[in-house]
Formats: sequence, C-alpha cells, structure tokens
Amino acid sequence: MKISEEQCGYCGACIAVCPQNVLELSGMKIITHSGCENCMLCRVVCPVGAINNGKNEV
Amino acid sequence: MEKMKYDVVVVGGRVGGSTASLFASKNGLDVLMVEKNQEIGTPVQCAEATSSSTFKTLEMKPSPKYVCTEIKGADVYSPDGNHGHLEGGYAEGFILERKVFDKQLAIESAKAGTDIMVKTTVKNPIHKNGKISGVVAEHMGHAIEIEADLVIAADGIESQVAKMAGLNTHQTPKSLCSCAQYEMVGVECDPNYLQFYFGEKIAPGGYVWIFPKGDNIANVGVGVRSDTGTAYSFLKKFTANLNATPVELNMGGVPVYGPVDKTYADGLMVVGDAAGQVEPFTGGGIHVTAHCARIAGEVAAEAIEKGNTSRNFLKKYEKLWKKEVGQDLKQSLKYRKIMDRLSDEEMNILAKFLKEQDLESISKMSVLGFVRDYPQFLKLLKEIL
Repeated sequence: MKISEEQCGYCGACIAVCPQNVLELSGMKIITHSGCENCMLCRVVCPVGAINNGKNEV
Repeated sequence: MEKMKYDVVVVGGRVGGSTASLFASKNGLDVLMVEKNQEIGTPVQCAEATSSSTFKTLEMKPSPKYVCTEIKGADVYSPDGNHGHLEGGYAEGFILERKVFDKQLAIESAKAGTDIMVKTTVKNPIHKNGKISGVVAEHMGHAIEIEADLVIAADGIESQVAKMAGLNTHQTPKSLCSCAQYEMVGVECDPNYLQFYFGEKIAPGGYVWIFPKGDNIANVGVGVRSDTGTAYSFLKKFTANLNATPVELNMGGVPVYGPVDKTYADGLMVVGDAAGQVEPFTGGGIHVTAHCARIAGEVAAEAIEKGNTSRNFLKKYEKLWKKEVGQDLKQSLKYRKIMDRLSDEEMNILAKFLKEQDLESISKMSVLGFVRDYPQFLKLLKEIL
C-alpha cells in the first residue's frame, strides 16, 4: 500500500476504514505505521485515488 | 512535560466539539477544547446544508454572517433525467459558510468560558484505574499532559481517541461514503433550491449535489460507495460540462450506515462523525451532531457535579440521544438500505410513481395499482409505507 503525498487531501477516510488501525493523520500527512496487511480498503474509500497497491509505481 | 488540569477536555473543534464544549462551559464546567488544525473551520469537509433545527439546538440565530442562502426546497433527478420537485418541509433549510460558522461556534464557546488550543494533536489517552482521565497532546513539538475527569471525543471519522479507549468506531467501504466537492463559480442555479442527481453512471452508491451559495456560486459534489472510480473522477466527469470554475476542492468520508454501537466508556463520550451521528439517507450530519453534542455537554456537567464519570453514569448520554434522534436515524437508515438495493431502472420507475402521488396521502388504490404493474416492488413498498 502506497499513499501519494501529492494527491492526498488528508481527509482521513482511509483511517476510518483501516481494520488494522495503522494509519495516522499527522498535520497534512498520513503516516503508515507497521502492520499493514494490504487489504486495500483504504484505496476504495480514498476520494482522490491517492492510494495504490504499491506495485504499479513507475 | 507541561501539565494542565480541566474538568473536561474536548478533542476536535468543529460542530461536535464546539457544541459540546459550549454547553459544558455554559453549565459551569472548566473546559479545554483542542483542535488539530491551526485554523478552526478549515479545511471544509462538508456540503454545508443544514436545517433550522441546528440553530434551535444551538440557541443561535441564522445570521447572514455565516448563512449564505435560505433553502425552500429541492429538485431531484432520477437516473433517466426525470425531475421531481420538493417544496418546503423536509427540504427546507440553509446553506452555511462552514469556515465562518465553525469559527463563530468556537467563539461562542470561548465566550462561555472554554479554553481553546489550536494546532494541537492528541497522541494518547491517559488511563487511570481502567478509566480515561485525560489525554497527552502535542503542540508545536511540545508534549502536554492534560488531566481531565472527562474526555469528549469529537475528532471526526479519523477518530483515534474512541478507538484507543476500546470502542469500535470503524467504518467500512459500504458504510463510508467517499466524497469530493468543488466550490464553483458560474453555476447557473436557483439560489433557494438544492439539486440532487442519482444514477449508477454519475454517482454509484451515492448522489451528486448542487447546493447554491448565492451569486451563482455553489458546492458541486459527488458521494460514492463503489470501487469503479474515485469520487474525484466522478466529480470531474459531472462538472466537465458545467462551464463553471472551482475556487476550492473539498474531500472526505461520510458515515452513512448509522451510529456506532457504543458512544460512551468510563470517562469518555463520543460525538459527531466519530460516533456516526449522521442521517444515513441524506448524509446530513450538522443538525444530528449539534443535537447529540449538546446532550453530551449537558450530561458532562451533570456527571462532574455528581462526581461520577463512570460508564454507568455516562450511559445517560446515549440513552438521551437515542430517545431524541435515534428513531429518525433508524428510519433514515431504513430508506438508505432500500435505496442501496435499487437498480437505476427501478429508481426511475419508483420516482415516476412517487411523482404522481401526493406524498402526504398516498392512496391504497394507487399503491395496489402500482404493485400490480410492478410486482417486484411489493416487498419494498411494504417496508416504506
């Protein structure tokens, strides 16, 4: 799971659905703590598509 | 570490936080409200519509300082473009300028005695004897220990405080509507009527709204629950032909599947988005949150006065908000679930039928006739009527 800082609008939707509770909004940045299981629920609810599975990065 | 001591610490400084702290302060408590952003009211995460009941709850006047327009009704468009018009009643209300409104609410709370800290993030709750008794917060790189008999969590969908206290405030992609909105200039629309657009192609699992703010400025937004595209992509698509230009982009998640299971714990009450206190059908949360947060502020005063902030006492908060708004939320969730089951075509048929009816007094004969023509709606109409 990878969050694009350029696209992120720091709204917190990803944090609300994270089953592992590993995401944290710190200022204008989402921090990913350890324990992410790549369920990608965060990607589904991100309003701007700032989250991808980290495999399609150029 | 710097230390502070208050009766109540309220986490979050938007509608829920300011309302709870306003009524706690009004009732004589020593209250600190902490807001993570450096400016109360920004960034906006809201379509800014609310009803007159919000002002009644807050004992405030709908002043032109923070009210953009008065809403008299709504125009609703089904997926096939058919249009229904609602006049008055449930569709009445106001469009707010949330940046100004939220700040004004914080000002009212401050005038009532609330201390406020901005750019302050809560890091951890303090536990004492198995009970929440304050929070550790961080401000400009310094940690502060804020001791309090009671914590009110009004920290939004990203709420950490309630989770850290062991409450389940998790949302799911089904329960959380993903939203993106432009505030746009040059939207030709009636300043007194809301517009709603439904359909799988424009907003799967949600709707598009145009909420006028006057002078052809409007909030144009999309809420979706779908993995077929982001809210932003649907927003771009919808606004492509509007010939309007944005001056603001807002985004956020709205809980549309009803309140969380439990909104209190030892030394803690949860209000607003964090508690899922939003009308499931419309996604409107300002009036519900204001109502529940006022109750939280008042129950806080009673708890401190009696020296009892145990979960047994704070249960009263949940009992009261359920009694006063719980039924409305349940009803609204029922409609949300029905809506979620409808295909575009079914929505078109149902909208056409409802449009021909006087909604106040739908006759049994007309319903029977409708069900004869469209038997698939029998179960659904039984649930609605």
